[in-house]
Amino acid sequence: MSHPVELRLSGSGGQGLQFSARVLAEALLRDGRTVAQSQSYEPTSRGGVSRSDLVVSDGDIDYPLVTGLDYLVILDEVAAEFPPTLLKPTATLLVDESRVQTRVAGPWTIRSSPFAEIARALGNERAGNIVALGTLLALSSLCSSASVAAALAAETPPKFLDLNSEAFDAGWRLVQPTPAAEAAHARA
Amino acid sequence: MGEGQRINLQGNHACALGAIAAGCRFYAGYPITPSSDVAERMALELPKVGGVFIQMEDEIASMGAIIGASMGGAKVMTATSGPGFSLKQENLGYACMVEVPCVIVDVMRGGPSTGMPTRPAQGDIMQARWGTHGDHPIVVLAPSSVSEAFSETIRAFNIAETLRTPVVLLYDEVVGHLVETVQVPDPGSIARAERKWATGPREAFQPYAATDDDIPAMARPGDGYRCHATGLTHGERGLPTQNPAEVERAMQRLLGKLERHRDVIDRFETFAAEDAEILVVAIGITARAAKRAVAEARRQGIAAGLFRPVTLWPFPEQPFHALAEQAKAILVPEMNAGQLSLEIERLSGRPAKVARINRLSGEPIEPAEILKIIEELARHGR
Repeated sequence: MSHPVELRLSGSGGQGLQFSARVLAEALLRDGRTVAQSQSYEPTSRGGVSRSDLVVSDGDIDYPLVTGLDYLVILDEVAAEFPPTLLKPTATLLVDESRVQTRVAGPWTIRSSPFAEIARALGNERAGNIVALGTLLALSSLCSSASVAAALAAETPPKFLDLNSEAFDAGWRLVQPTPAAEAAHARA
Repeated sequence: MGEGQRINLQGNHACALGAIAAGCRFYAGYPITPSSDVAERMALELPKVGGVFIQMEDEIASMGAIIGASMGGAKVMTATSGPGFSLKQENLGYACMVEVPCVIVDVMRGGPSTGMPTRPAQGDIMQARWGTHGDHPIVVLAPSSVSEAFSETIRAFNIAETLRTPVVLLYDEVVGHLVETVQVPDPGSIARAERKWATGPREAFQPYAATDDDIPAMARPGDGYRCHATGLTHGERGLPTQNPAEVERAMQRLLGKLERHRDVIDRFETFAAEDAEILVVAIGITARAAKRAVAEARRQGIAAGLFRPVTLWPFPEQPFHALAEQAKAILVPEMNAGQLSLEIERLSGRPAKVARINRLSGEPIEPAEILKIIEELARHGR
């Protein structure tokens, strides 16, 4: 990784966006990376736009906030509006088609999947964030599966660990992982 | 930060861990966004080290509680945000006057009043210096990273204890809620300063005697030294006085003690500043945006530089002066309507060369915005 990678997980407050960002940051830490994770939320305990951003680097991070996203995850209609200039032209978007009605369009690679629906089929719609995390990591070569599994185990309350592990695997299987991601998976 | 543990840590949690490492054993507070994580972490950590955590009935009582606990001999801290910081000001003035070591964290959110609880701002820069009435000594530290939230909290305690003064730790919501990968040093490797306690004959003890270093020794409860603490103007014996000569002497010492100890107070960071023609001055998250903007300007061949006061008040005037004099233009980006820029104009020698970027929207100032103004200043001057 020569340049820092920037990600945003966005949706509605209560969807576990801060949680999945924490899991991802923890996994990246285990892989020896340096991360900066920032957040934005509204003063309500549920609802409102909520997002968590990550800057991932192999070295020091001078400015810890995102300025050019490589990945944007949108898990709810309230987050469907975003500043297009914040995305690199090469960015990849993951959109939860079961919760986002707005048709997101632009020069980016856009993948729509029913993350929440898949999670509901596994027993709890609220694991949609982890399904999306699985897809995100299958598409990128950001971190090893072993680190993600360890981070999930460390951060998840025990009674939800099986659900989160299944949700992650379901998300991972949604796409054909990139060769680099596959290699990272195999290393695990 | 040396050996220790490499972890992902939030700014507010780093502040709490820094406090514990510095020897803080008493915390009183009232929850308020975006500072509540400091209290949460202190509530978890203090019992482990035999300390005391109290959630008080309000902000005013929290400030009172830490002052009392400090007089009782503990290293103390409270944390709040703008609305709570306003409420603490009266007791904060008392702590300045009575010279009680304490650390007050103000995590800045949008204001005035209740403003925007979850959005960042830097609108308390002047309040931190002048929030309580009357001339008073106070130290304000302004960390701009998670790593510094840890190390500057430790420094806050060491300054408070050494100089018998309240120290405010001032940072914006971004720094408070930011999680960064940091190296947390072993607690054993942290240098802790201890306050000067009264020694010698008890009868001769004067609680506000002007000692060699202008820092009076404190009476440790139980040691048998008589002590009177009052917010009324007091002489060396600690008793109220309106005798002009005594008042003048007492106030000159009180207001002069920080100036005498600049060596332990001053701290600043410079980046590419030695030959800077355009000098950017910023704190907190804005300083990190400025640093990237300066680096990019240098890549373009523009002689830009950064001056970041880590100790915000008293402002590190001397190191700033030389850089300010050589600069053709000075740029002050800040998330308020113009506060730090007032001090920079004062110190610049020529206020007209100070340009501003002011942001009130609740969004951080981005590197690109600062770079754009640096480029304009390089083209057209000031």
